[in-house]
Amino acid sequence: MTMSDQTGRPGADTDRSEDPMTNTTPPAGPTPPADAAPPAGPPERATSAGVTTAGVTTAEARTTRAGLARDRLHWFGSRYALVGVWILMAIIYGIVTPHNFLRISTAQAIFGSQSPLLFLSISALCTFVVGEFDLSFAGVMGLAATIIPVLSGLHHMNVALACLIALVSCIACGVVNAFFIVKLGVSSLIVTLGTASLYLGLAELLSNQNTVSVTNPHFAQIALQDFLGLPLSFWYGIVLCAAFAYVIKWTPIGRHIVFVGANREVARLAGINVNRIRVGSYISASIVAALAGIMLVATVGGFDPTASPSYLLPALAAVFLGTAVVMPGQFNPIGTLFGIYFLETGIIGLQLLGYSGWVQDAFYGAGLVAAVTVAHLVRNRTRVA
Amino acid sequence: MPDPARLTVRGLTKTFGSAQVLTDVELSVLPGEVHGLAGQNGSGKSTLIKIITGLYTPDPGALFEVDGRPIRLPVRWPEVHAAGVSVVHQDLGLLDQLTVSENICVGGFPTRLGRINRTRRDELAARTLDRLGVSLSPARVVGTLTAAQRAEVAIARAMRDLTPGSGLIILDESTRALSGADLEHIHQLLRRIAADGSSALMVSHSLSELMAVTDRMTVLRDGRVAGGGMPTSGLSEQELARRMLGSSVEAVTPRAVAGPQRQGAEGQEGPADPGRPAVTVTGLNGPHLADVSFSVARGEILGLTGLPGSGYEDIAYLVSGAQRAVAGELRTGSAKVNLARGSVAACLRAGVVLVPERRDRDGLAFELSMRDNISLPELGKRGRPWFVARRWQQEDAEAAAATLGIRPRAPHILVKQLSGGNQQKVLLAKWLNTGPALLVLHEPTQAVDIGARTDILHALQRAANTGTSILLVSSEPEDLVATCDRILVYGREVGLRQADAATPEQLIEEIYATSEATAGSLT
Repeated sequence: MTMSDQTGRPGADTDRSEDPMTNTTPPAGPTPPADAAPPAGPPERATSAGVTTAGVTTAEARTTRAGLARDRLHWFGSRYALVGVWILMAIIYGIVTPHNFLRISTAQAIFGSQSPLLFLSISALCTFVVGEFDLSFAGVMGLAATIIPVLSGLHHMNVALACLIALVSCIACGVVNAFFIVKLGVSSLIVTLGTASLYLGLAELLSNQNTVSVTNPHFAQIALQDFLGLPLSFWYGIVLCAAFAYVIKWTPIGRHIVFVGANREVARLAGINVNRIRVGSYISASIVAALAGIMLVATVGGFDPTASPSYLLPALAAVFLGTAVVMPGQFNPIGTLFGIYFLETGIIGLQLLGYSGWVQDAFYGAGLVAAVTVAHLVRNRTRVA
Repeated sequence: MPDPARLTVRGLTKTFGSAQVLTDVELSVLPGEVHGLAGQNGSGKSTLIKIITGLYTPDPGALFEVDGRPIRLPVRWPEVHAAGVSVVHQDLGLLDQLTVSENICVGGFPTRLGRINRTRRDELAARTLDRLGVSLSPARVVGTLTAAQRAEVAIARAMRDLTPGSGLIILDESTRALSGADLEHIHQLLRRIAADGSSALMVSHSLSELMAVTDRMTVLRDGRVAGGGMPTSGLSEQELARRMLGSSVEAVTPRAVAGPQRQGAEGQEGPADPGRPAVTVTGLNGPHLADVSFSVARGEILGLTGLPGSGYEDIAYLVSGAQRAVAGELRTGSAKVNLARGSVAACLRAGVVLVPERRDRDGLAFELSMRDNISLPELGKRGRPWFVARRWQQEDAEAAAATLGIRPRAPHILVKQLSGGNQQKVLLAKWLNTGPALLVLHEPTQAVDIGARTDILHALQRAANTGTSILLVSSEPEDLVATCDRILVYGREVGLRQADAATPEQLIEEIYATSEATAGSLT
């Protein structure tokens, strides 16, 4: 987990670390001058008598073609190894239960049912990419998923208005999280653990601890309307992931977010308003969690507030599994998308084999541990490279 | 001497990866002496202590003896501790809510049937304190003690299991929280311990303290012994400073080209080119320094140095907004920044950028690529809110790699995969790329190899030649003399003084002179 704790101001720390792991490379004597092709450097580098140019070692310069190919392979392997595992898993299921698994309906079940979870994982990602930590997103989603049926079902409010109210309430939840964590500096783990339970309690209060349902039949259409063989909610999830990936990769704010996540102090010293980004991450996380709640209610038609904690672990599992794909060692939306359907493939396959009930919990739990382990190992391998 | 040395270390070398941190170090502490271990930050003192206490494994081939008995390497602390070596922690390692007696006896509580025997525990504590000539009630809570008493408790813990007249205690910068009479008090305690026949190894970077309390001294510089077991009585503080700071051990970079305004004197505002004027700092007050004013002319490299601990390093962070000043103002031709706000963004807008000392913590995101790190400060300026192109980032990184000699020349490589020198070049490239008005650097050549050092210093000279003002805050006399047009030396009492040094040795003298002035003004 990247809960970086870099709050110390640089100048305040006058006792410099002598930890050699962080400041290595003592004078290693003059290195041989750049062989083969000296870089088009400025003239004085060549003229300074006796003193060599860059710290070039001959080995570095002699990167062979075979070495390049091996690097390529390693590069590809470290990014897409889990995709291979996924395909392998599908093939095994296909061999074991060809009549059940190799059907369009199975694919539809895998890809069509998971969009609330996908939204929820993206919500988790919002805070994780900036190095924050949030356990309350499932509670926020539960609150949204309760407010909508309570208002529209019990109080006969317009569904759209109910959704809006749910969204605003969830934003308020995000603001509460951000206030305690960013403004007051309380540990994010503790705050969100607490608010997760708080939001769950509020949802139970609103629903009187009953399952509540939406009566408006058109509401389900926004999620379940068929498009290219899959429900609209699936495509919403794809669009959300793509948009998230675009923002992170191709916009200044996205690059700033990545730096805040990678090293908060470096980001601060580059003039980035770190706290604004942290607050933004909690608020956007709650907005996406609210959308997850809307998707959930639209798909299922109602919600049992006590069920919301059960969404926490699958979302975390998917997010961590995602760190082993595409961008090894980093939280990323495409990896998360992959993680969701990887886990769901495993579960559906096991269910088709006749295991049910306990399988889901066991697979998500084991998946989380496996995901974190794989991500950890992948990260170590890139470090050695 | 008939007795064998209490602690002998010989031929000790320690390599981390490709970096040799200690080279053939020799240390010998005699019975009944206070031995000083001196050196600058990064000289290898801490590594040596960590090897003695078993935290690090030395390279094979070293000799390690306690009281003439060889100790197998790597050191297993229980074995050495049983032989009579103990450590006083840097932060003393006391628990405030516990009593003096509990703090002294922790790790060696007298027990009976598995339970702590409180009577014997208090007796042991009282006996230890008594032996040291410290009058302190074992029942007192440590949180209520003065700084000097706390140090006494920590020393008593280290002395607890030593047979009187034997043993060695290691004080790893343990006295840095003390000053004045308190420090004097602890020094007397150490002298008493040594007079009884026990030994002390005292690690410190405070010259005056080492001079005051030690019998002999070993000085480390760049991981090598720059003076082994020198009797303190035959040493002057100046001599010690010279050995710690070193003088021309490395080839000095010749000045390539003088800055266009080498004569640009203080107060003289940068003329010409209104886009890149001089930078003036006035009335800068920080938590550890008072009333600093200076100006950097256009294209000038201004050096700033001082004794370790005088607070001169803070100036780099205060001027760039990284740390909030108490008061102070920075002016460039076009902008005025109130440094008391401590706003990095405001300083960046004024064109003041910082290359911090700790590249791992403050300078670069190690898990991200070289390209991403270099382009970070420019993303907002050169990208549009909805889109940042990759091409210019790639080109900038490639250009930086070529001009600074970053190896390998692969913009996508992660910073953590680069060597220290190359990392430092990436950090420099990141900020040079912004075309700053004032480039502030803190120890830019620390822990880089000699080739990278040369590249970095040349890059500074090139930047100055194109009109960038540079403030080089450094403790490396060679770097300063080789590259700077002007060098200011900061002393806590004397403030900023312009140094008139043509050689690193002269500069060391001048740095040292600031502490003499301090001592003079105190007495």
